Amino acid sequence: MLRFLGRRLVAMVFVLFSISVLSFLIFFATPGVDPASRIAGRNADQATLRAVRKDFGLDRPLPVQYGLMMKKLFITRDLTSFVNRGAKVIPQVTEAAPVTLSLVLGAAVIWVVFSIGMGLVAAVFRGTPVDAAVMIVGLIGISMPVFWLGEVVNLLTQSRFHDTFLFSWVPPLGYTPFTQSPFGWFKSLIFPWLTLSVLYIGIYARVLRSALVDAQEEDYVRTARAKGLTERRVMLRHALRTSLVAFVSLFGLDFGALVGGGALLTEVVFGLHGVGKLTFDSLQNLDLPVILATVMYAAFFIVLANALVDLVYALLDPRVRHA
Amino acid sequence: MGGTIAGEAPVRAGDLAAIGGSPWAIARRRLLRNRIAMTMLGVLVVIVVLCLAAPFYAKHVAHSDPFHSNLDGKTIVKGKSVSVMQESSTGLGLGVTPIGPTWDLHHYFLGADDQGRDVAARLLYGGRNSLLIGVAAALLTCIVATVVGLVAGFFGGVVDGVLSRLLDVVWAFPVYLLAISLSTVLIARGFSWGPFHLESGSLLLPIAIIGVVYIPYVARPIRGEVLSLRRKEFVEAAIGLGASTWRLLWSDILRNVITTVIVFFPLVLAIDMLTEAALSFLSIGVQPPDASWGTIILDGQGLLYTRPAVALAPGLAIAITVLSLNVLGDGIRDALDPRAKLRRID
Amino acid sequence: MSRVGKFAILGALVVLAVSAGTTGAARQDHRGGTLKLLAKAAGGTLDPQVNYTLQYWQLYQAAYDGLLAFTKAGGEAAFTVVPDLAESLPQPTNGGKTWVFKLRKGIKFSNGQPVTVNDVVASLRRIFKVKSPTSGGFYSGIVGAKACLAKPAGCTLKGGVSADAKKNTVTINLVAPDPELKYKLAVPHATILPANSPTSDAGTKPLPGTGAYYFASYNPNKQLVMKRNPYFKQWSKAAQPAGYPDQITQSFGLTVEAQITAIENGQADWTLEAPPADRLNEMGTKYASQTHVETLTAFWYAPMNTNLAPFNNVKARQAVNFAIDRNALVKIFGGPKLAAPSCQVLPPGFPGHVDYCPYTKNPGATWSAPDVAKAKQLVKASGTAGQKVAVVSQDDEVNKAVAVYLQSVLNQIGYKASVKPMSANLFFTYAQNTKNKVQINVQQWYQDYPAASDFLNILFGCDSFHPGSDSSINIAGFCDKKIDAQMKHALRTALEDEPAANKEWAKIDKQVTDAAPMATLFTPKHIDFVSKRVGNFTFSKQFYWLVSQSWVQ
Repeated sequence: MLRFLGRRLVAMVFVLFSISVLSFLIFFATPGVDPASRIAGRNADQATLRAVRKDFGLDRPLPVQYGLMMKKLFITRDLTSFVNRGAKVIPQVTEAAPVTLSLVLGAAVIWVVFSIGMGLVAAVFRGTPVDAAVMIVGLIGISMPVFWLGEVVNLLTQSRFHDTFLFSWVPPLGYTPFTQSPFGWFKSLIFPWLTLSVLYIGIYARVLRSALVDAQEEDYVRTARAKGLTERRVMLRHALRTSLVAFVSLFGLDFGALVGGGALLTEVVFGLHGVGKLTFDSLQNLDLPVILATVMYAAFFIVLANALVDLVYALLDPRVRHA
Repeated sequence: MGGTIAGEAPVRAGDLAAIGGSPWAIARRRLLRNRIAMTMLGVLVVIVVLCLAAPFYAKHVAHSDPFHSNLDGKTIVKGKSVSVMQESSTGLGLGVTPIGPTWDLHHYFLGADDQGRDVAARLLYGGRNSLLIGVAAALLTCIVATVVGLVAGFFGGVVDGVLSRLLDVVWAFPVYLLAISLSTVLIARGFSWGPFHLESGSLLLPIAIIGVVYIPYVARPIRGEVLSLRRKEFVEAAIGLGASTWRLLWSDILRNVITTVIVFFPLVLAIDMLTEAALSFLSIGVQPPDASWGTIILDGQGLLYTRPAVALAPGLAIAITVLSLNVLGDGIRDALDPRAKLRRID
Repeated sequence: MSRVGKFAILGALVVLAVSAGTTGAARQDHRGGTLKLLAKAAGGTLDPQVNYTLQYWQLYQAAYDGLLAFTKAGGEAAFTVVPDLAESLPQPTNGGKTWVFKLRKGIKFSNGQPVTVNDVVASLRRIFKVKSPTSGGFYSGIVGAKACLAKPAGCTLKGGVSADAKKNTVTINLVAPDPELKYKLAVPHATILPANSPTSDAGTKPLPGTGAYYFASYNPNKQLVMKRNPYFKQWSKAAQPAGYPDQITQSFGLTVEAQITAIENGQADWTLEAPPADRLNEMGTKYASQTHVETLTAFWYAPMNTNLAPFNNVKARQAVNFAIDRNALVKIFGGPKLAAPSCQVLPPGFPGHVDYCPYTKNPGATWSAPDVAKAKQLVKASGTAGQKVAVVSQDDEVNKAVAVYLQSVLNQIGYKASVKPMSANLFFTYAQNTKNKVQINVQQWYQDYPAASDFLNILFGCDSFHPGSDSSINIAGFCDKKIDAQMKHALRTALEDEPAANKEWAKIDKQVTDAAPMATLFTPKHIDFVSKRVGNFTFSKQFYWLVSQSWVQ
């Protein structure tokens, strides 16, 4: 087991390292990206340009620049932005994290509740039109581009019907911290939550349904049924419990990706300053220090979630350890 | 983990042989009996035909060139000549609004965009690009993923280690960063490598980006399947009998894995179309004046307030196409999945 | 002008109503409250000697002072330079090369420290030490500046800037006379800061200033806060007037759409961003009283690379000029109330501007309609037909739309054109560097100070062309020795006789327009959208809306 853990750890570090190097190289391969002249300002003198380049160490070899940047990011933790000079990068990420966390947590609650409900209904009514209808509704959710859905929601709540009683309570786009006003926090996030969860409700309902269906073929469920337990009890007591394994591991992966900034489009459309928006803005600004920080942050959560899910499987199934 | 795309555990395709009869024929019959899937296939066919008819629509119905700016253009509504881009005449007289949907014969069924071009015609042309990118990227993903999964799973050891780590890197690398950075590099410069030359703005760029990003989603389950196949008796037996590696790979393993790939294809295609839309929406996919459904949503975003149809129509088009792909994908999976048959008996 | 008149009457009515007797008391009623400004993103460093964005230059007006300042008044009056921290605007001696400024007494920084001549000297040196973007462009004419540019850290400006504490004067010596020095000393880069300010870019840490407000806090991901400077006493209404709101904030992060909605709903007072096209109509009708449209001295233009095919051929460049339907572009920008067609470099109302348009159906003073037939003929004559042309632009809505339109026009006159929109941050440097081989792109230029040279000499002078550099603002790479010599001459003439110089600039404007290193597209107007409660909106042509001069209660 320890060897397995060690191997996973080495693999994690390797993946994170590769991603940081890749981001760094891609940045410097982009034409016109040399930050010196953007830092120096409009119509800067050639001498000023050279001085700025030297100041920011942009005249040094790439491996040295990479090393320095990593040192500033992880050891001295004082890496500053290229665009908003003097703005430290790490506080930007830590300030954005609660926003993303609020968004993802709320959405996760909604999608877990709804998907379990829908999955159960579909499995109980398997093969009937109810099953088909529920699954199609789920599929519709999966099939809509999330940014488009967000735009449509905004169109309805912020302009078309904003003056009617339906949506007049909807606050302007943006985030209200929970500590400032719990109700304001809720109001500002309810539509982003719903929008983000629509996709996942569909996916999770399907996963759960198929796991439930599979479980019903398993021996222990047949035994339970043979013992004369009601179909509902069998479903809830036995089938659901085992089916949740696949559900939970998938949840781990998605949750990790979303906390790392995967909800980028939702954050952009709803003007929420989370990690995803920060990543997006830094990419738009080509602000390398922030890009590196957010990418590493995102990759860390993805890799961590992967490792945790693998670990759970390894604990459950010893064969995986040697695979 | 197939995660977002697969949604369900991959098929244990190795069991197919056990059912008896030609598995393909059984699958086809089963698919044909699935009414919902067949309806959706019909919808898909209609969409593809409509998109292929884009030039006809532009020329004979809309009577306009959807790739030429038409800011000073006129059209006829109820027998009267009207500007396509209408200047505001009330209040301070600010702003210019493109003409909305006009149901007068021949013109602007969905209104005009911010260049005065016919949105309906652009929607059809855009669908061609969206579908083309989606299909090509999905093919790329499935082919590369199959090769990687086969090689990694079959040879194991160092080869597997290297390939799996590579997949991990692609998996954990944020999709949008990869897409944005690659496309800024490539859109600005194009790409030259040996005999290959890509013009900037070429559709191959989004195809390559989207295709690469989803390789791990398909390659991982295939690798797992190959791993378990390799331990099956018939493979071990074949190895024992001294079958050549390549023969084994091609005839025994690939044949078993191919059903998984087929199940994945429509689902990958669906997610590719969504990704293409997202990338174009972030203005890093198809470049103007060319259109795709994503870029039309982007154009429409600036008009959402006054002319919502411009953004709503391509969004609906994407949703319907992706929905039919997903339903069709489900149908194919059910058709190929022997357990589905067992369920029906029971 | 009419607006100022209206408010004067309004002020008088208020006076009568409260019968307080003085206008001062009427003003007191409006003092207080928080003015809430919105912007999509922060504007970068807050250091007034480094930042080069209109976003913060507008705010610096109420927070920082130089020796001189542009008048804080509406309209054209804002172009006049008045003494600020200096007692008066001195007449240069020594053939225009020596300027002696006498410092006002009793002015304090927002940290309580008094302003001394040492602060002035240190601040002028600091321009070079912090590598201000204009250190080479604006201030290289000061004696000793060349050494400072080469070695910023040890900058002393020896022989260039000296102080006399007893007489309370500062002397600036120039290498050559410079008629534009007064403008250059009135922009934020020449702000006077405490002598002990850090000698590198202060970044997000606010520096104390002398203005009516000080920057209390700055977080580029959230908000910037300005509060009343407790040490401020008004010394010159024209240079640094006291303001109405107690606090001014600028919040970052909402989309433009959301910002407009917030202002309509009274949740915020103003947005920095240009409003999206589809909200204009609503703003002009439902919210007409809150919408202020002002003319600007700026222009949108498409520089054509004069060293690269096909635009190394003057006929090809002229063809583009003839083919562009400027009315169509005006529509993209929001209609004739928001932009006006133009063919030349100098915008209307600018010193040296004389109406001129050779590229229209009936060539003359103003543009009337495109002449596509003539354009096609010119393309044919140039022998460049069928060549590939890529139009590069920023990827925001309006810039991209302009690029798409240009692409459409280029195709129409016989080229094979494509569009390359790119991230706004990348675009500006990308377009400048000759290594990137940009053929034609979409640019806009807003004046730094009201002198013709800021357009003609900077954008089309040989000195601003640096092949292979990311900082080469002469994007067309246009370098005509004859025209360049005339520009140098006009700069010299301006020392003694500004009207004569402006006549020379008008001629140069014509010649540059004829040589067509660019296609001028239109001159834009500026929209400010404020909330219902904002009163006394005053628009300076130099630094736009004078934020602190509006009240919110």
